[in-house]
Amino acid sequence: MANSATLIEMQALVKRYGDKVAVNNVSLEVQAGEVFGFLGPNGAGKTTTIKMIVGLLQPTSGTVRVAGYDVQTQPLLAKAVSGYVPDTPNLYAKLTGRELLRFVGDLYSLDRQRLAQRTEELLRVLDLNEAADQTIDSYSHGMQQKASLAAALMHDPKVLVLDEPTVGLDPKSARLIKDILRQMAERGTAVFLSTHILEIAERMCDRIGIIDKGELVAVGTMQELR
Amino acid sequence: MNGLSIQPSGRLFPSIWKLIRLRLLLNWNAFKHARTRRKVVTIVLVILALAFTGFIFFLSWLLLGFLRSAKLTQYVGFDVAPFLQSVPVLVFALIFLGILFSSFGVLLQALYLSGDMDFLLTSPVPIRAVFVTKLLQAVLPSFGLAALFGLPVLYGLGLSGHYNFLYYPLVLLTMVALTLAAAGISALLVMLVARLVPPRRVAEVLGFLTATLSILCSQSGNLYNTLGRNVTISGSQVNGAFALLMRFNTPWNPLDWAGAGLVALGEGRWLPGFGLVALTLGLAALAFSFALATSERWYYSGWAGMQVVTYKKKSTRPARVKTATAQPESGAVSLAGAQMRRLLPAPILAVIQKDFLLMRRDIRNMSQPVTPLIFGIFYTVMFLRPGNAMFPDSPDMPGIFSTISHLIASYGNIGMSLFVGWMLLSRLAGMAFSAEGRNYWMLKASPLRPAQLLTAKFLVAYLPTLALGVVFMVTVSILQKASMAMFLYGLLATSLCQAGMTGILLAFGVGGANFNWTDPRRMNAGAIGCLGQALAGLFLPIAFGFFVGPLLLVGIFNWPQVYGYLAGALAGVAVSATGALLPPWLVQKRVERLNED
Repeated sequence: MANSATLIEMQALVKRYGDKVAVNNVSLEVQAGEVFGFLGPNGAGKTTTIKMIVGLLQPTSGTVRVAGYDVQTQPLLAKAVSGYVPDTPNLYAKLTGRELLRFVGDLYSLDRQRLAQRTEELLRVLDLNEAADQTIDSYSHGMQQKASLAAALMHDPKVLVLDEPTVGLDPKSARLIKDILRQMAERGTAVFLSTHILEIAERMCDRIGIIDKGELVAVGTMQELR
Repeated sequence: MNGLSIQPSGRLFPSIWKLIRLRLLLNWNAFKHARTRRKVVTIVLVILALAFTGFIFFLSWLLLGFLRSAKLTQYVGFDVAPFLQSVPVLVFALIFLGILFSSFGVLLQALYLSGDMDFLLTSPVPIRAVFVTKLLQAVLPSFGLAALFGLPVLYGLGLSGHYNFLYYPLVLLTMVALTLAAAGISALLVMLVARLVPPRRVAEVLGFLTATLSILCSQSGNLYNTLGRNVTISGSQVNGAFALLMRFNTPWNPLDWAGAGLVALGEGRWLPGFGLVALTLGLAALAFSFALATSERWYYSGWAGMQVVTYKKKSTRPARVKTATAQPESGAVSLAGAQMRRLLPAPILAVIQKDFLLMRRDIRNMSQPVTPLIFGIFYTVMFLRPGNAMFPDSPDMPGIFSTISHLIASYGNIGMSLFVGWMLLSRLAGMAFSAEGRNYWMLKASPLRPAQLLTAKFLVAYLPTLALGVVFMVTVSILQKASMAMFLYGLLATSLCQAGMTGILLAFGVGGANFNWTDPRRMNAGAIGCLGQALAGLFLPIAFGFFVGPLLLVGIFNWPQVYGYLAGALAGVAVSATGALLPPWLVQKRVERLNED
């Protein structure tokens, strides 16, 4: 781990949909330079938790802080330092990959030169160069997933949140994403990823949190959990 | 070895039944789990459709009975019996051609874009069964419509002519056979086109053409009224129309055989009757079987082609490197870009650029802005047509009516421009947020202020409407030879009223935003969006009234016109600015929480 500043901090996080409790009293911390795996079966509350971290959902109670910013009271500051890759890459189908990255860069107010440089760099690293000028509706699922990751990395976030990032990817792309996440962590980014597959968590993560029926049942390294 | 020992059924009809049962189950579940209001509406619609069928039946019975009357024969000067015999010919030809063309889009969707074909093609079900089910699924709505209008007419004809009982079941059988044949041929056309052009692109172009043609057809009556003169129908014209219809009834046209055969059967001419009906049914069966057999081969290659087209690398030329440093913008563009960047923050510009790009690239979106354009052209022609004055000038006319008449003549073009703007804004502003669809998470997860997003969406809706309004105003003002003062005042009123409407529609669009759609034509802003449209429609005459009202008053009291312009401008600006700014400001908090349900 590069350093030990807390970049994601959840305290007594609760999300209710009517009578149904999707997330119940979840508290945990993720440090800078750490790859944290959020493991749990389908419907355990992983996506709901992630959506609260990136500001897509408002918690019923509790707080989430990203890089020290409260996601509810300082949402713009929190969003400016975080990147998010959803489980389904719903991207603007009629934009080209390059246009998408340019659009995201502008949303984060990157200056023109930095934006151009970052776009080319990410397209090259994620092997999207050849498809960069084609509209996204012509991309395969894996390419869309990589475009989604590129969009999340455009502003070089301090916190990267990924929901099931390797689902539907071929082994080469999965390996590429794993390497990128590790590099990000080595540069001090906190990576928070969800998965329901134990092997993925084991291979990619420094620490793991296990969630079941909305409750965090265990947190620790793989060895500690064994 | 493990697993169940599965014996796939290669039998056609049980497989078709399985697939139809699945479709019925899906429809039943959709009805069962629908809201009560939707259920009630469905039931009422079914009852209304049945009542409508009964009404058409009695109407055609009476009408066709009247057509056989001696009075009419005396009036038109010839026997209408041959015309009546050509009615089934006309009905069957219309059904065949209607289903052939209307099934194209539905089959394109069902065969290539529905998403369940992968599952069905990998299931142990004969592919022929899949096609038959898809064809039935696609033609059922068209067949329902054809039966709704066609069957009552044909049965009314049979009753009024005392046709043989065999006529009635054979009418239904022939209708089914022709429907299946038309659908089969349509499916072949779909597959042929899908081999040449990506199906998604075909669907986009088709959606645009259908919407544009529908609007043109719906306005054809207005066009006729606009261009036509007073029309009186003479006996010879009726005679000519009958003769034209009967010209369709020729023995050389296969489309005529079904109708001619059924009439012959009804009238007891057995040999030609059975011969022509059997020939029609045989040809229909042949066309359907041929379509099925050919579909099996064509579909696989078209489907495989679609997968390749979807994922293939389209551009063979080297990718252009679009970097700010490598590709500097040209002087004027660069200056304009820099000015825009100074005026608006980068996130707002990004959303505006993105929205305009998407609007232009998905041709299905274009059908909605085209609608107001068509309306605008039609109503402008109607408005500018000579002899359209509400109160024609007369020396006896009271002063107030004369003033109103001149105001309407002078500022009616503004009203027209605003009406066209209202239609365009209902789509662009009312659905500005819904248009984001499932991609909304990208905006929500980014550090974009609600005010910035509202500003961007406001400008995306307002700027094209303003441009259209200006073009409209300039054109009409030139045609009307309006004074410069009147033109400029009109422009001010139009641009500000449109801004007010944009604000109202945008705010209600936020309230009713619906992000869960895949086809842009299904995008809507719900009941709240409809309320917004109604309120914007109400706001329109009020804001316009504030602009024009003072002019009316100075005209009545013979005060200097400049006071009218000043007072109207002040009042109009205040009302329009309130409409443009207040509603979006009120919904800022709601924008923060959008798409969290």
